[in-house]
Amino acid sequence: MNARVPRRSFVAPHLEDRRVIVVCGPGGVGKTTTSAALGLRAAMQGRRVLVLTIDPARRLAEAMGVPANSDEPTRVDPARFAAAGIEVPGELYAWMLDPGTVFDGMVRRLTKDPTKVDEIMKNRLYRHVKNLVAGMQEYTAAEALYSFVESKRFDLVVLDTPPSRNALDFLDAPRRLSSFLDERIVSIFLPKGGGFFRAASQLVESVFARIFGDGFFKELQGFLSAFSGMFDGMREHAVKVRTLLGSDESTFLIVTGMEPEAVSESLFFRAKLRELGVGFAGYILNRSWAYTRGLMPPATLEGLVPAETLAKFVTFGQEEARRAKMDRARLQTLLAQDIGAEALATPNLGGAVEDLAGLALLADELGFHHEDERPSSSHPIVE
Amino acid sequence: MTPSTASLRAILVTGKGGVGKTTFAAALARSLAGRGLRVLAAELVGSAEADSPLARTLGVSGTVDEPQSVSSDLSFARIVPSAGHLSFLRTALPMKVMADAAMKSSAIRRFLMAAPSLPEMGALYRLLELVEAKHTDGSPRYQTLVVDLPATGHALALAQVPASILDVIPHGPIADAVRRGLGLLYDRSRTAAFVVTLPEMLPVSESLELSRALEKHKIPVRGFVINRMPWDPFDAEQRKSLDRALAAHPNVLGARLFRRSDRAKRAKERLLASGATVLAELDERGDEGTALMDALTAELARVLVGDLAGVS
Repeated sequence: MNARVPRRSFVAPHLEDRRVIVVCGPGGVGKTTTSAALGLRAAMQGRRVLVLTIDPARRLAEAMGVPANSDEPTRVDPARFAAAGIEVPGELYAWMLDPGTVFDGMVRRLTKDPTKVDEIMKNRLYRHVKNLVAGMQEYTAAEALYSFVESKRFDLVVLDTPPSRNALDFLDAPRRLSSFLDERIVSIFLPKGGGFFRAASQLVESVFARIFGDGFFKELQGFLSAFSGMFDGMREHAVKVRTLLGSDESTFLIVTGMEPEAVSESLFFRAKLRELGVGFAGYILNRSWAYTRGLMPPATLEGLVPAETLAKFVTFGQEEARRAKMDRARLQTLLAQDIGAEALATPNLGGAVEDLAGLALLADELGFHHEDERPSSSHPIVE
Repeated sequence: MTPSTASLRAILVTGKGGVGKTTFAAALARSLAGRGLRVLAAELVGSAEADSPLARTLGVSGTVDEPQSVSSDLSFARIVPSAGHLSFLRTALPMKVMADAAMKSSAIRRFLMAAPSLPEMGALYRLLELVEAKHTDGSPRYQTLVVDLPATGHALALAQVPASILDVIPHGPIADAVRRGLGLLYDRSRTAAFVVTLPEMLPVSESLELSRALEKHKIPVRGFVINRMPWDPFDAEQRKSLDRALAAHPNVLGARLFRRSDRAKRAKERLLASGATVLAELDERGDEGTALMDALTAELARVLVGDLAGVS
């Protein structure tokens, strides 16, 4: 270990200033763990942080002492930080998104007539919709984000998205929702849709009556009527979320692994972010093998293990060196395709990060460059 | 009796993101095609604009909805909900022109894509259509479909959809189409899910959960495929001596990989202890791209060879 003061990473200023950080990237690269570590880092800097996760690793939730099924964010007990020797002047909350809860909350907020709330909650279609896992996560992630940012309960919300392709749905959900909730479109489904849209309305009715059966179409109309008073509010939320995500208050981070598929998914995702016109902070290359500085050669174990064992172990050392070289080359390839982008590599910390102490280690890696040891775009990795 | 892999009509490949699901699906499709079966490798994608990693892996463009030929016995198709909606509407409505008009109506298109469950229903319908596709002589166009399902959450969503649609819409053409789809999904003689996992604790617990959830939704799970099993040349005694030496010198090049192979072993033991069937264990390989694909295809052909013995 050298004694030089570590330099702040490109991530650090975002953790200090932003209100929303969206963490996205391909599956299996450690997005949830990284999101939790980012949240912890910001809380260590004194902020009130919510880590909002859609698909958390159960063990991580256990490590943080946060229940998997809860109606609202749970604060990580400061005693746990103390026990792990981590100084956290801020507050860290975590919540696993529950679509049903988010929906109910939205209905309560947006329904002007309180007697209507019960009616909606009992509606068969509503219950069907809110209990679906499918597709609802994307809508509700946007809605939950809106309500948490609006409530000002937190200084920062770190949103952990589902794997890449679905995360694109999440970005698209507000737009899709608001386009579907376009009054003109909805009016086509409602009874007595008339005037200019009469022809469209008749087509819709005849198609739907045939494919869903007549009874269902009436039920659907009932559902849409009950909801129609809320559509303005839902659309308004969708637009606000989109505006928030496109503003300076928000930024996106791509967490990626070093496998070629992960890198190409990340670049695809990067292109999508550009297309959506949202802010991009940079790449986090997670669990990288790139670091070999400070490591002793396998021959160090000579005399400590039998020669035959050592010979086999030497091949492990060679393989690690090969991976280090490959990861560095891939990092350069990635940066060559996204000139000027920030990137930071976090080291392969051994096992999966499974407790607060492990999370704090990762948080430190995310917040600082340890000179001469940690690579970044401005500090290229050299052997 | 468990039907052989080769006699299945639909092999659903699923698993947590990043476990090499797509590469496995491509290699499995290729090894089955190499046995003389007419195989369709298919991937569920959300929209017509979406990118298909499976197509990329197989080396085709993957931008059209009609199946494309990859090699003489292997084709690729994207399964896009809107294509399923269109063919469904064409069957359900009395006139094709009405279906085309309906799909041109932005109200209906938006409804089908935005209303919960309906995109999944479209995908299921398209899947069924491809399984049932026939040559003019009545023989199936594809003997086996290898379907690359989305990662965990969405695979479950897809499994949950048919039954939940039936709750809401018990009658009518949609209900009938969904029942036919379920007939295929639930049929052990035609359908099986392969759960791909990595030999690490979190992926193993997640895939066990996924498998239980699929079974709960009555989708037959054939078993697990352990992907990227690290090389491990050490016996218990050698391990012990290395453990001791590394305790004194933790920062040695090679130690991370050594500990990783140890974790992999434990993760695999955990999978086996849960009573899971391991269909194949694929070695971690240094190569990638075409070389990786060729090696995996050959390994799968070898590993599943007994299973495939019934194929002429």
